[in-house]
Amino acid sequence: MTIAHHAPEELLAAFAAGKLDEGEHLVVAVHASQCRVCRRFVRAMETIGGAAVEAAEPAPMSSGSFEAVIVRMEQSSPNVLQPSGHDSEDDGLPEILRHYRIGRRRRIAPGVSLRPIELSGKGTSRAFLLKSGPGTRMLEHTHTGIELTCVLKGSFSHVGGRFGPGDFDYGDDTLDHQPLVGSEEPCVCLVAMTGDLRMNGFFGRLISPFVRL
Amino acid sequence: MTRGSQAVRKSLGSMIGRSFRQVRSRKYDNERPKAKVEWADLIGRIASHGDRDAFRLLFEHFAPRVKGLMLKAGASGEEAEEIAQDTLLAVWRKAAQFDPASAGAPAWIFTIARNLRIDAVRRSARAGVAVPDAELEYFPDPADSQEIQIVKRSDTEQIASAISRLSKDQSTAIRMSFIEDRPHSEIAEALRVPLGTVKSRIRLAMSRLKDSLEELK
Repeated sequence: MTIAHHAPEELLAAFAAGKLDEGEHLVVAVHASQCRVCRRFVRAMETIGGAAVEAAEPAPMSSGSFEAVIVRMEQSSPNVLQPSGHDSEDDGLPEILRHYRIGRRRRIAPGVSLRPIELSGKGTSRAFLLKSGPGTRMLEHTHTGIELTCVLKGSFSHVGGRFGPGDFDYGDDTLDHQPLVGSEEPCVCLVAMTGDLRMNGFFGRLISPFVRL
Repeated sequence: MTRGSQAVRKSLGSMIGRSFRQVRSRKYDNERPKAKVEWADLIGRIASHGDRDAFRLLFEHFAPRVKGLMLKAGASGEEAEEIAQDTLLAVWRKAAQFDPASAGAPAWIFTIARNLRIDAVRRSARAGVAVPDAELEYFPDPADSQEIQIVKRSDTEQIASAISRLSKDQSTAIRMSFIEDRPHSEIAEALRVPLGTVKSRIRLAMSRLKDSLEELK
């Protein structure tokens, strides 16, 4: 897989520091898991994180802290991976997403449907899988916030170029675009969105309420 | 202190007191392990035979630093203490997973603390929704083939040399901004430079790091 579009460094750095909003975190994680270039950048930031630990002003631990940890060491239980809900539609999803609960598919426009991903709700972004039929022209839209996309399957193109599997697309309110889905197969994307999506044109305004999740 | 922990302290005393003093007598206090290798060594001792002396040394060095970093990054005293304890507990439990060919013990410990912090935030959100552990989202390594090991080792070296190409000012700025999560204005004050300088320094440092990583590929 050749990845042509990467996540911006600021996002990767915030991801490595564990400071990204939940939905955005997920999209960056899925992209980086498929992209060696971005993974190396994250590793570099983690190395700087290690230097930050070494450079940190030591804060005295509470009294009895070490002993408390020793007690817990003795009761040590192996970490068990929690099983996640799984249905056949999840096959082919990146490993990272398989640990999440993914809601039922909802049709939001002709040829376009989405499945919401259940997050803890602590963040401000929403995440979903967006599936569009081959050749679908997405509605012209602008964002009031940020939209992060990682292509999982198929492709789309807009003024920024062509985006195929693994590619990362960063959309903010400066972008007024109308992606065209590649004709070869349906396009499935993982999307995280903050703020609202504003559909332009009559039809867009009509379906906007549904897209707002 | 509760009676329980007193008992623990006592049994600890008999369990590790003597051998720990022996370790101390090797002047660990004056020349505490500096090289990555030595921290890695201690982790290796935990992995191979559950060495509690090794654990104590790691705890004494890293727990207060993890706590300090968490405090700086905005955690409350209680949260920072909890994350520091949990981090060291995880060092004990996961010692066998530590890869000496990786970026080194401090970076590994940093990622453990970071993941625990993310998990704490997620769990504080709303009960009932099962969200996975952050650990699963930072590209857990596939089964290590020899080939992967080689790639990993050269990655680690290249990453280290890419970082070494940053100036001290640049890496400090990155660290303060992203790892310690301090606002640009505060960084400007701490480094005694104008706000604009902080912004451009961070931007430059990031693109330099990115370029170095590309060149070294």
